[in-house]
Amino acid sequence: MDFGLSEEQEQLKSQVRRFLDAECPVDKVRTLIEAEQPYDAALWAKVAGLGWTAIVVPEEQGGLGMAWEDVAVVAEEMGRSLFPAPFIPDLVAARAINALGTDEQRGRYLPDIASGSLIAALAMIDAGGPASPESLELSVSANGSGLRLDGTKDYVAWGQAAGLLLFPVREAGGASLFAVPSAAQGLTVTPLTLIDPTKRAARIELDGVSVSEDQRLGQPGKAWETLEGVLDAATVALAAEMTGAAGAAVALATEYAKVREQFGQPIGRFQGIKHRLAELHVGVESSRSLAYYASWAVDNAADVPLRASMAMARASETLEQAGEECIQIHGAIGFTWECDAHFYYKRSRYSRNLLGSPEYHNERVLSVQGI
Amino acid sequence: MDFGFSEQEEAFRQEVRDFLAKNNPNNEATIEIGEDMDATLDGIPKLFAWNQALYEKGWVGYSWPKEVGGGGGGIVEQMILKQECAQAHAPALGISFMGLAWVGPSIIAYGTEEQKQRFIPAILKGEEQWCTGYSEPGSGSDLASLQCRADRQGDDYVINGQKIWTSIAQWAQWMILLVRTDFEASKHLGITCVLVPMDAEGLTVNPIKTMNGDSPFCEIFFDNVRIPVSNRLGEEGQGWDVTKHALANERSSIAEVTGLQHDLEDLRALATECRINGRPSIEDPFIRQRLAKLQITVEAMRLNGLRFLTKQLRGDPVGAETSVNKLMRAACEVEVGHLACDIQGSFGALTKGSPGAVAGGKWQKKSMSWPAVVIGGGTPNVQRNVIAERILGLPHDS
Repeated sequence: MDFGLSEEQEQLKSQVRRFLDAECPVDKVRTLIEAEQPYDAALWAKVAGLGWTAIVVPEEQGGLGMAWEDVAVVAEEMGRSLFPAPFIPDLVAARAINALGTDEQRGRYLPDIASGSLIAALAMIDAGGPASPESLELSVSANGSGLRLDGTKDYVAWGQAAGLLLFPVREAGGASLFAVPSAAQGLTVTPLTLIDPTKRAARIELDGVSVSEDQRLGQPGKAWETLEGVLDAATVALAAEMTGAAGAAVALATEYAKVREQFGQPIGRFQGIKHRLAELHVGVESSRSLAYYASWAVDNAADVPLRASMAMARASETLEQAGEECIQIHGAIGFTWECDAHFYYKRSRYSRNLLGSPEYHNERVLSVQGI
Repeated sequence: MDFGFSEQEEAFRQEVRDFLAKNNPNNEATIEIGEDMDATLDGIPKLFAWNQALYEKGWVGYSWPKEVGGGGGGIVEQMILKQECAQAHAPALGISFMGLAWVGPSIIAYGTEEQKQRFIPAILKGEEQWCTGYSEPGSGSDLASLQCRADRQGDDYVINGQKIWTSIAQWAQWMILLVRTDFEASKHLGITCVLVPMDAEGLTVNPIKTMNGDSPFCEIFFDNVRIPVSNRLGEEGQGWDVTKHALANERSSIAEVTGLQHDLEDLRALATECRINGRPSIEDPFIRQRLAKLQITVEAMRLNGLRFLTKQLRGDPVGAETSVNKLMRAACEVEVGHLACDIQGSFGALTKGSPGAVAGGKWQKKSMSWPAVVIGGGTPNVQRNVIAERILGLPHDS
């Protein structure tokens, strides 16, 4: 019985924290979000150099073969630092390729993902929420001796940053997954403007994009079950990232409450403030427990849908409260662009509905238990 | 992360299960202790037999040191023991409730050899009940402002004053009592802890009826109650330290979590039996949201508990973190009662004795009973202060 980080995980956690504090403090985040480039290539190269893009890639493909627990550790720290880079989409895509691809396909994509030279993204959002086989917006049809993909994905997280896009499409009465280079002819990427400036997303139109059989990962129409598992893993990573952001919002508000004086004393002495912060601390601790347990569940195939939904429902509530309270506790200064409070609030608005609302996940908690 | 148990731990779990199959008095029917006097009297011998069986196993005071008669058991085994008992709906691990929760640990830490020999065996064997004389009418959350006084007269203390909200005082044989022995010293330093027999002359106990109709607690009056100085626990003026130690001797929250898990099962069953707005309550989307949120909170409590336990196992002291689960538990206990009644729709207002009352009004009673656990041992607002000040480092209230 041990529900804590291992020694290696503690080292990983402090390595990520030291790196991000040094290389991407909030001033740097503020610069990066103004840039047209969706992410900072130099910074990404350093991230890859530290091995974080290789975490879930198997050792045979040049990766580290580590666990989803380790992804949660890194994601929480990246959430804390508001790190504006496609870390989660990249690792989620690597997980999908590893789960569905043949050895040849793994060898084609995973070593480049591990080295950081290729960023991948999985287009898993349709019709305003996590995809289902019925909601898939893309179709595949015959095109001479090959195949063609048509349709529009309205929302692909970090789509404009990816060199490789993974598209679930309707096929053979189910779902198939195709790997498509973003440079493919007939593929148009239109960046979207998000409420959270530290995140990116794009609309992607496919107009007769030619693909070959060997770009299909898995059997025709048989990818869905695996993709659902990948989506749950993505949900867990996002919940960990949200927990990190919530913890940072609480820390920011707490530090401010210690130094801001009104009525001749620090506002942190007033119970109107300290009790709210105490409740937020309870929320962060609970989100952390549920997210880390869910990451263990992913690695051990233990009630993953239930665990992922529990983690996400709680993380959404916690980050929403933390983001809002962080602004309120700061008072008027919290409403300014200059104060960092708004980043956490915006992160909440972005993350909350990305992979299903808390209400959706609450409902799923019951339905996956057969209730 | 590793959520498995060692072979030894699993063997211990099996030993507990075998023991429970044979000795759990609730295997046949749950013992009801309450206002139904016949059921209560019927249950008492079974509880004594349960305590005796546990005692012979060395499982009463499982974590207490062996030299005072405790089990000397490890943290993980203790968790397994509590979890298995709660899972099997067994009574608490020993019937001298407060004796086991904090009186015993305080005597072990601060008592004289004589006191240990006099009191600890009776607690372990379930022969004596203890009550706790902390709160006063003017001293609740601000406990250290207490005014009940003890004046030294030769080898005796003479006690005068009042205590209130004293649970089970009408049944207890002994009381652990905080009194002021020094009115000049600062409020924390003038307090002394003494052990008082409840049959002492000049001591009056009046039960207080609560909003659910029961009388689980009492007010106590001390009119020149005389006890020997040898009944003092710790030094004169050390009472606040003794109390802090007692309150820090936190029970792990595992039994509470299992209790809430049982409540959740009951709520789901209730929601399939009851109807709201013309359909089964379990199909109501708002009820479903509340059921899920409650389950997630209970699960978060369980996992928080495991994280804190891991800290302990790794040798890090666990302090104010326990307030996190206490605060969560308070919210859960209130919600269980509310949700159960809301699941019954209009019938949620029907109480015991009414035609049509669901389950004899037991959920309505639950919805009127949560203050015992939510307010007892520190209100949620006190827990919030503890978290804010001791974990987040925010300035003290005063």
